[in-house]
Amino acid sequence: MRKFALAAVLFALGWGGLPGLPRDASASISLEKCTLCHGKPEFRKLLVDGQIRDLFVTGDTLKGSVHGKKGCTDCHFDVSEIPHLVRPRRVTCTHCHFRGNQEGAPQSDNVLAYFDSAHGKAIAQGNTKAPLCQDCHGSHAILKAKDPGSKVARVNVAETCGKCHMEIYAQYKGSIHGTALAKGIVEVPSCTGCHGEHKIYAHTDPKSTIFATHVSEQCSKCHSSIAIMGKFGIETEQVATYKESFHGVASQFGSRTVANCSSCHGVHDIRPPDDPLSTVNLKNVPKTCGKCHPGANPNFAVGKIHVDAKKKESGIIYWTATFFKWLTIGTMLALIAHIFLDMYGRTRRLRGER
Amino acid sequence: MSRADLAAGKVIRMSLPFRVQHLLLAILLTVLAVTGFALMYHENSLAQWLIRMEGGVHNRGIVHRIAAVLLMANLVHHVFYMLFSREGKPELRQLFITKRDIDDFLQSLRYNLGTATEYPPFGRYGYKEKFQYWGAAAGIVLISLTGLMLWGEEFSMRLFPKFVLDLAIIIHGYQGLLAFLVLFLWHLYNVHLHPSVFPMNPSWITGKVSVEWLREEHPLEYEKLKEEGVL
Repeated sequence: MRKFALAAVLFALGWGGLPGLPRDASASISLEKCTLCHGKPEFRKLLVDGQIRDLFVTGDTLKGSVHGKKGCTDCHFDVSEIPHLVRPRRVTCTHCHFRGNQEGAPQSDNVLAYFDSAHGKAIAQGNTKAPLCQDCHGSHAILKAKDPGSKVARVNVAETCGKCHMEIYAQYKGSIHGTALAKGIVEVPSCTGCHGEHKIYAHTDPKSTIFATHVSEQCSKCHSSIAIMGKFGIETEQVATYKESFHGVASQFGSRTVANCSSCHGVHDIRPPDDPLSTVNLKNVPKTCGKCHPGANPNFAVGKIHVDAKKKESGIIYWTATFFKWLTIGTMLALIAHIFLDMYGRTRRLRGER
Repeated sequence: MSRADLAAGKVIRMSLPFRVQHLLLAILLTVLAVTGFALMYHENSLAQWLIRMEGGVHNRGIVHRIAAVLLMANLVHHVFYMLFSREGKPELRQLFITKRDIDDFLQSLRYNLGTATEYPPFGRYGYKEKFQYWGAAAGIVLISLTGLMLWGEEFSMRLFPKFVLDLAIIIHGYQGLLAFLVLFLWHLYNVHLHPSVFPMNPSWITGKVSVEWLREEHPLEYEKLKEEGVL
């Protein structure tokens, strides 16, 4: 499937070459020749849909980017004569970016991961709106992901994804994660924090990090970490209490319909419980529970949801559990004592009879 | 009681209806314990293996509920049998806990500790049998009620707030554990390891015990049978 997707993509891009084939060095064209036309600031093209495509490029365009030392035709290698008679094709990053390349590009399988992802499959199926590498990483101004200026840096990636996923981006921006990110809190997850980077799958795909049975695991990566949650005064017991609950147990054993974290807390629109818009605000709890439990009433909001019977704060639940614990221990001790006493007494009785 | 039994020195202690009820109870409690504790201790690898054997967490619940319904039916049948049948009515009368049972218990304690010289003579049911019987009955009623609450959780939530159901889970689980441990240990001693019955008192299968055993462990019952001319 992965190979087929790869072949299909290459076919769709109209590119016959295979990665790794040496390029014809003589085909390289100097920057000066390109900037004869592209160096004019007014060099642009009116597209069919009325948009203007800026075609202005100078020697500084690649400066500072990871491709600072590359020339135009290193990527636009289908341009072999100037002026080019046809519009150059979209750049194919796989020309250099594959494991085992000799061009000095990072050795990584990210490109294969991409072809297997929801985006790569959409491209293979002919969806021209699906993103290629450059749609997320940028065209000329590509920076390393760690660089805060990069389009795929943690602080920027939500905006980058939001170019296409506009509604979700709007929801995310209003969520606790989105607002925290805007404040510059770097621990907070952006899109890729939950969905993955290149291995993004549809939420209905069992491989996805956000498939129903994987959601709690994904959230608990941060929410069970005292090191991260401690900084913000958020409790970590929620993960453990969920796992102990009927919902958590059913989820661990593969139920896909049972509630996971996001069933109650929301997905992109997660808000703190004291926010009136939060799905877990006490006023909204009956409605949220009612998604699965028809006729849910305010009773659902009476009593802690993430309850831990081992903690004193749980009140009557803690005391009942403690009572039963000692009742069981006491009964067992009494029974065992009784059994031994009975045996001892019986031995005496038999001895007496003799 | 047949002549052949008497000739072999045996008397009937558990009639067929009681043996059937007891066997059903034993099987169903075992099924309920295996399916229930698998869920209660789901982090344990043995429990996880059990859940897989039971066909996953969903099927585990179905098995648990089928066994629970059968157990409750067994209980209801038993109640009716004890209240209205010719055999049950006198049995129930002999099972009531009286002041005498408390005295017997204290007397046996004193005897076992060496401060009394006489071990109390028991009738058909001694304090051990009676405490076990009523303890199990109360436990099964409590565990059935909380189990029904949890089964019909949407209905329960209409009547009770969420924390009442949390309590029901706690009571259901711990009560199950308590009942299981008591039944296990008590049976282990009284039916298997007790010197008078080792390796096993077979009456739960055959219904019969030896006259000798009856005279030893339930002397008042022995006397009564003798007076009635059965023996």
